[in-house]
Amino acid sequence: MSSASKHHSGHGQVTIHQPGRRLMHNVRLKFVQKHVAGGGGRSTNASLSLTSMIDFLVVTVVFLLMTFSASGEVAIPKDVKLPSAENATDMIDAPLVGVSGSQIFVNGKPVGSTRTVEEGGRLMMIEELKASLGAIRETYKQTHPGKEPPTVAVLEIDGRVSSLVVKSVFQTAAYSGFPNVSFMVNKTAAPK
Amino acid sequence: MGGVDVGGGGKGGRKSLDSEINMIPMIDLLMVTISFLLITAVWTQMARINADAKVKSNKQEPTEEKEDDKPKDLHVTLQEGDPMSATRKFTVAWMQGTTAVITDTVESTAPASKDGVTRSYPELAKKIDESWKNNGAHRDASDKKVDQVVLHVTNTTPYGEFIGILDAVSTPQRDYKFGDKVSKGPALNATFAAN
Repeated sequence: MSSASKHHSGHGQVTIHQPGRRLMHNVRLKFVQKHVAGGGGRSTNASLSLTSMIDFLVVTVVFLLMTFSASGEVAIPKDVKLPSAENATDMIDAPLVGVSGSQIFVNGKPVGSTRTVEEGGRLMMIEELKASLGAIRETYKQTHPGKEPPTVAVLEIDGRVSSLVVKSVFQTAAYSGFPNVSFMVNKTAAPK
Repeated sequence: MGGVDVGGGGKGGRKSLDSEINMIPMIDLLMVTISFLLITAVWTQMARINADAKVKSNKQEPTEEKEDDKPKDLHVTLQEGDPMSATRKFTVAWMQGTTAVITDTVESTAPASKDGVTRSYPELAKKIDESWKNNGAHRDASDKKVDQVVLHVTNTTPYGEFIGILDAVSTPQRDYKFGDKVSKGPALNATFAAN
């Protein structure tokens, strides 16, 4: 009872209470009455279960560690929209030859253009690409004496480029000492 | 704060077995690890399709090898048609030298692609798989040689379509035995006709 309530006890006197809740006041158990009648105020302190929080954090760390790639992301030139394929194998560390529009890149650096091929309308050698790939082989020979230079090059070509350009780049790579050519794609899951 | 109590210690008293682990640096460490891994995460899955630069020409080369002794190669030719249509017609032929031994044609419709550049040909993939299973010369796991497939595409064919055909050609898979180990790999080695 609050201090504001009026309480007169004595012979023939009526006890006057301050109006309050009347519903569910006859519930015997105090803590039940407090809850059902809404008498208990919500605590201002919220407790956080540390066990479940740490569990969640640990699971997240484990998942991210499992999907972590130490080799990092493969640099793809701007505007290159790679096609997708189902039957593809894992990537390897090899020189990257990119073709975007009419620009040719080797390891992300622009080295020339495919305009001569497009204008010529026939399969031909791309001299700038040949020189650049030849330089990569020479650098490898100098930095790794006694070792055979790699023969694999990876082509990252935009999906809208014509087959004539693709075949010219492919043939140029082969003549420059990279006869095993791989085409970079986005891997898609096979339909079930 | 959560923790394990290993005792209060104190002067004179024995060292208690309970100790408290400070949760704040532990949660901080987990948070920093999560942030680092999220920032450095690579979500795009890159892969590659192999091809060989053994370019064949249509010209007949003088050779002493008999026609019957020559290995059989699979030739997949994209026939010219309406470039706007989703359906393409292919010729799948096993050739021994310049002689076609078995020739099949297949029509394949590319389903709508999500990225706008990829075209895949499921019917062609099925046909090539069947054809290799029936006619391929190197199917045994202990056989180190691989059957060759030559792709014939027009110069104007977009690369997305080109990869779709190469993907179909890479469908047949076979076992390769290296010592005691057996691993799966593509059954056909692709190359391109220089036409």
